[in-house]
Amino acid sequence: MNQILEINNLTKRYYNKTALDDVSVSFQKGKIYGLMGPNGSGKTTLMKVIIGLHKQTSGSVLINGVPLSYKTKASVSYMPTENYLYDSFKVKDIVKFYQDMYTDFRTDYATKILSDIGVDLEFRVSKLSSGLVGKLKVALALSRDVDIYMLDEPLNGVDVLARDVILELIVNSYNENKVIILSSHLVSEVEKTLDHVVFLKNGKLELSGDAEDLRLQRGLSIENIYKEVYK
Amino acid sequence: MIKIIKYDFIRKYKLLLVTIICSVLINLLAVAKSGANGSFGFLIAFPMLITLLYIGDIIKMYSDDLNKKSGYMLFMTSNSGYKIVVSKVITAILEGISILLIYLVFILINSIYISYVQGFNIGINISEVVRAINQVLSGSLGFNLGHVFVFLAASLIFSISFILTAYTAITIRKSIFSEVKLGGFLSFLIFVALNWATSYANGQSMSALSSYYDNIQIVGNMISATQLLIALLPIMIISVVESILMTIGSGYLLEKKINL
Repeated sequence: MNQILEINNLTKRYYNKTALDDVSVSFQKGKIYGLMGPNGSGKTTLMKVIIGLHKQTSGSVLINGVPLSYKTKASVSYMPTENYLYDSFKVKDIVKFYQDMYTDFRTDYATKILSDIGVDLEFRVSKLSSGLVGKLKVALALSRDVDIYMLDEPLNGVDVLARDVILELIVNSYNENKVIILSSHLVSEVEKTLDHVVFLKNGKLELSGDAEDLRLQRGLSIENIYKEVYK
Repeated sequence: MIKIIKYDFIRKYKLLLVTIICSVLINLLAVAKSGANGSFGFLIAFPMLITLLYIGDIIKMYSDDLNKKSGYMLFMTSNSGYKIVVSKVITAILEGISILLIYLVFILINSIYISYVQGFNIGINISEVVRAINQVLSGSLGFNLGHVFVFLAASLIFSISFILTAYTAITIRKSIFSEVKLGGFLSFLIFVALNWATSYANGQSMSALSSYYDNIQIVGNMISATQLLIALLPIMIISVVESILMTIGSGYLLEKKINL
């Protein structure tokens, strides 16, 4: 079965807003997906429903054919866009937390990539710059050995040089048995890494397709398709 | 579950250490300023203040997990809602027991000090120390160590029940009413309503038990520690049952309805 994540008629309503409106889309193994859309289009809500931080109003989400529950969280590694790490902890304490809480966490791999990207284990999270927090969050998410990686705005608050490092980490995590979903406003920066794009607009699925096919069909780059969709 | 409890304590151990150090300093200051009276005063004031701090700390811990982004650390892990809420309750119980033990140490040390000041000559063995503590408590406060144990156990059970009322209110706010405006105010209203409901249930249960209380015989002017335990037992059991029901309810909501 190539399909790893299936979303059917997913709707999520808040107080006076529909964040996701009858979204149906599926994700297949061995691909890097770009979840595209401006602020408020529903990208973050979709990811939070998949990881179980939000509960859907209606519709279903299946991970490897299994409906969402606390058990399916074991198959998903999610990097929220916000700084969610315990402020009072040192980086090494956060790594230990992941090691204790996730049986699939690869501590040696995490330690190695944190060293490669310049995040010292002795640093306290509250003292890290937003760029270092960004690198740390990506490293933690990618150090788990799971089926689905979801990275919400992994390039946010990160300088140009660090962006390349993060994108390289993401591409290096690619594996034919896994799916990587990343959302980003910086379409031009992530375009070259994407196999498939999913455009959300006001909570609805606007467009979904193979990145290369869309480029050929429309004669435009993904960035220009984005501009066309959201103009 | 043990891992969740472990990280709850790692997150708060500095606060607990600071509280203990401050308590020791306040005790020393009270003794230095007012001698035995200061020591008595500290023994009376400490449980009241520490209970307030304890309840505040335990409620804040849960509230932060549900209302702050750092709660994602816990809720992204593949632990069920039931496991999370039970872990939080066990953390609350362990913290409460630790505070009780610390208070007992304060009672022990202060009683020995007061005994010396008042001229009692006590040796270094358990029975004499207990006798000294009982002498101090019965002479000055009108009760003995048995009363203290019963009172502290009941306080812990009532505190946990109160904390669970707050947990349930916060959980309802972040699940059933997560999409409603004025969340903080609503959470408070739910808390008040839950407290009213539990008080009403307690009142009804106590009325039904009136014949039980008629059978408790008080000999002399004072109720013994055993009689105090017998008198408090029904309400303690009712509180435990309410706490279990609220734990199950909160676990279900965390599992099925949460919106962080």
